[in-house]
Amino acid sequence: MSTMKTTRDVKGVGISIPRPDGPEKVTGRVQYVADIQPKGLLHAKLLRSPHAHAKIVSIDTSAAKALPGVRAVITAKDIPHLKKKAPTRAHAVLAIDRVVFMGQPVAAVAADEPSIAEEALDLIKVEYQVLAASIDPLKAMLPGAPPVADAGTEADTSEALAHSAVAIAKSDTPAKAVNISQQARLQRGDPAEGFAQSDHILEKTYRVPMVHQGYLEPHAVLAEWDRNGLLTLWASTQGSFNTRSEVADVLGIPENSIRVIPVECGGGFGGKIRALCEPITAVLAQVTKRPVRYVMTRREELQAGMPAPQVIIKLKTGVKRDGTLMALDAETVIDSGAYSGAVLAVSAVFLGSMYKWPAFDIRGFEVLTHKPSVAAYRAPVAPQTIFAIESQMEQIARDLDLDSVEFRMRHLIQEGDPMVNGQPWQNNGAKQVLSRIAEHPHWKTRKQWVAAGKDGKRRGVGLALGGWLGGLQPTGATVRLNPDGSLAVLTGQVDIAGTNIALAQIAASAYGVDTDLVRITTGDTDVAPMTGLSAGSKTIYTVGAAVLQAAEDARRQTFEIAAKELEASIHDLELVDGKVTVRGMPDKGITLATIGKKGNLYMSKTPPVLGKANPAFSQQAPGFAAQLARLELDPDTGEVTLHDFVVVQDVGKAINPIGVEGQMQGGAVQSLGMALTEGLIFDDSGRLTNPSLLDYRKLTAADLPNLETIIVEVPAPAGPFGARGVGEPPIIPAPAAIANALQDATGLRLTELPLHPERIALALANGAAKAP
Amino acid sequence: MAKQLLSCTVNGEAVEVLVQPYVNLLDALRENLGLTGPKEGCGTGDCGACTVHVDGKVVASCLMLAMQARGRKVRTIEGLAAADTTLHPLQEAFVRHGVPQCGFCIPGVLMAATALLEENPRPSQEEIRYGIAGNLCRCTGYTAMVAAISEAAETLASQRSAR
Repeated sequence: MSTMKTTRDVKGVGISIPRPDGPEKVTGRVQYVADIQPKGLLHAKLLRSPHAHAKIVSIDTSAAKALPGVRAVITAKDIPHLKKKAPTRAHAVLAIDRVVFMGQPVAAVAADEPSIAEEALDLIKVEYQVLAASIDPLKAMLPGAPPVADAGTEADTSEALAHSAVAIAKSDTPAKAVNISQQARLQRGDPAEGFAQSDHILEKTYRVPMVHQGYLEPHAVLAEWDRNGLLTLWASTQGSFNTRSEVADVLGIPENSIRVIPVECGGGFGGKIRALCEPITAVLAQVTKRPVRYVMTRREELQAGMPAPQVIIKLKTGVKRDGTLMALDAETVIDSGAYSGAVLAVSAVFLGSMYKWPAFDIRGFEVLTHKPSVAAYRAPVAPQTIFAIESQMEQIARDLDLDSVEFRMRHLIQEGDPMVNGQPWQNNGAKQVLSRIAEHPHWKTRKQWVAAGKDGKRRGVGLALGGWLGGLQPTGATVRLNPDGSLAVLTGQVDIAGTNIALAQIAASAYGVDTDLVRITTGDTDVAPMTGLSAGSKTIYTVGAAVLQAAEDARRQTFEIAAKELEASIHDLELVDGKVTVRGMPDKGITLATIGKKGNLYMSKTPPVLGKANPAFSQQAPGFAAQLARLELDPDTGEVTLHDFVVVQDVGKAINPIGVEGQMQGGAVQSLGMALTEGLIFDDSGRLTNPSLLDYRKLTAADLPNLETIIVEVPAPAGPFGARGVGEPPIIPAPAAIANALQDATGLRLTELPLHPERIALALANGAAKAP
Repeated sequence: MAKQLLSCTVNGEAVEVLVQPYVNLLDALRENLGLTGPKEGCGTGDCGACTVHVDGKVVASCLMLAMQARGRKVRTIEGLAAADTTLHPLQEAFVRHGVPQCGFCIPGVLMAATALLEENPRPSQEEIRYGIAGNLCRCTGYTAMVAAISEAAETLASQRSAR
């Protein structure tokens, strides 16, 4: 069934409609996990390792257990089925005999009050034998480095598959160094020959530190068991079915004995995909036979959350004097922390696939270190990768005195061109967004604007392009006709981005009623059709298609009933203003309410209308964004003032423009933080040196200008009404755009994020960026 | 430790509640009074999600002991809409501009914005941005938020001149 549709003449797709949960959110009435107050609630706290790598010699919990108000104190010994070779972070519920990162949970307490639980933590005595730690990923790769994983632990690529639906061939050579958990190599042509024929060779190493997703609501979960052994989890999650599967696997219990209720998610951005504190909270609830809630503190989030990985990318490019691309050599090292799970493939694909390199050798390594393990962060590894390749492209253009847009445009891929993994690029709007930003007055007038700088300030304008392949996952939806003619749509998809209102608009346009007649519900794992993560920019693309098809199914059923009632051919019917009529005979009709009522009448022979669809997908829809920054720099202090920021994005079809703009603005600001201020800084012993929001600096309203958003619509052939994924592309180009603008302002190529005042001032003082 | 009696006014109503002397105002509001609108995003006064008013001034309720509110007037997000549930012009503008995404920061932002407009009824864009600089938001990028506050200031001004 095709999902590319023209919208019907109803208030549906393409109209800006504010989210219906707005009034509940502005009054503080929406409940998050920490707001739920069940009777008999206990509070959980975790004792965490003070060392990055240590052997656990002994744990004494007796004093903690004796504290009044403490209901349970458990260690790994109390969870007999824990596996020593934890395949994922979630499986390492509590450390067994070794801790592998600072902040790793060692013991857990449930108590009547949070303060009692905290006091109990102080009474637990743990004796550690500190071991040498691998902190720097480049050193961790070397033979003889202190090992992180227990021997035999396998690479975890589930997130890569869930997120980007991109696969690359695994390298034939097995990992030799102890801490290399994944590696891949992609080659085409003869890079050595390409470099030999190049007039311009540029070698740079780009570095991006670990950054935190920064959701305002810390991880939180509430767990309770009933007397039949059914576990209910109220979770802040991006995917309730994934949470159920992970918890079932970790606890060794059937999926059917777990019900996950997705509670309003106070921000996820990839950080709430994988289970983190759900298993331990479930165990505490089982032991105490009481509801138990665990809410992470912000300090715990920063020290022991699941941040985005540190990424180091070494690039060597060779081009002819006229800008002809000849060869690319790239090596990406992704620091995955203590457990495997980084999305290695994205880096390889975007380093080598955005522009048409005739010869390349791209190598990627996932390295384990004694640091918190990583997870996805909105377009995982894409902003870091684009920072490297878009900085490099800009530098080449400047070195060769080429127009930086024309240079990019000349080599930019289009539909059908092969990616580095040999797969063809799907239909996309890369060229359209790049031309659109090049037409922007800020770009056309950049020389005048830069020249108008005064008071010793230096001005710069920069742009960058970036993309995302678009995720895929099977899903399902139902559309029910109510007895009053309204529609009830049910999915299991967690709404973390305003997707529910857009899905309602899709149902409205596909069925043929106004959106205000559609109510959409996100069901829990007991009642909803199975569905995947709200991640990878795939909710509207995939769940939207399911809703569209289910709404068409419901429309077909409605028309079948109407045809029988009206004694007319189904082909002669139309739906106008809530009434199915015979075309050309507006008096001969039946209202949706009548059809809906007939489906719920005692002794009625009319079936209730229940549209359903459960599609599986094969075609991806890449989404591209181009961004432009105009900034001013104080050369004495290194302080950057962002004057303007423009986001151009191809969204295929903006189902709900106001929601799309919100995604474009929010995504851009997250990566402006990555560009300018954010970074988790670890010392040599693996201790996080900035574990608070005072020291881990996120951008505030006062740091930013108004963001300009420009929506481009290049319809995706398989997308609902042509829509593409929206969430990820806007976070991708900003760091490169900022670095390129800073080069415009200073002449310096800065290759390490974040570009905070100290780094910029030092680079200016040294006269050149020292990093090769 | 013995609990102490906290008597204060919360959202216009006199309340008396027994709290531990070490409990902060945020926990007293959330746990003892059931006002879960104010959120804990950091517990260290850096994120602004717990923002409330005490005697009309913006306060990070996670940094203030509950007993310090004795005899004072506390206002939370639950006290912003009118008694008949009509939304405050700021709330109304936030809804119409589609500001709330995940929504976790919104109660704090609205309390900061309310205090800003009470002190400075016609703030410039820059003054708005500084007025909510103590409130982190990770979803919106602040652009729609600033526009909504600016518009609510206009609405409030025209309401005043109509009176």
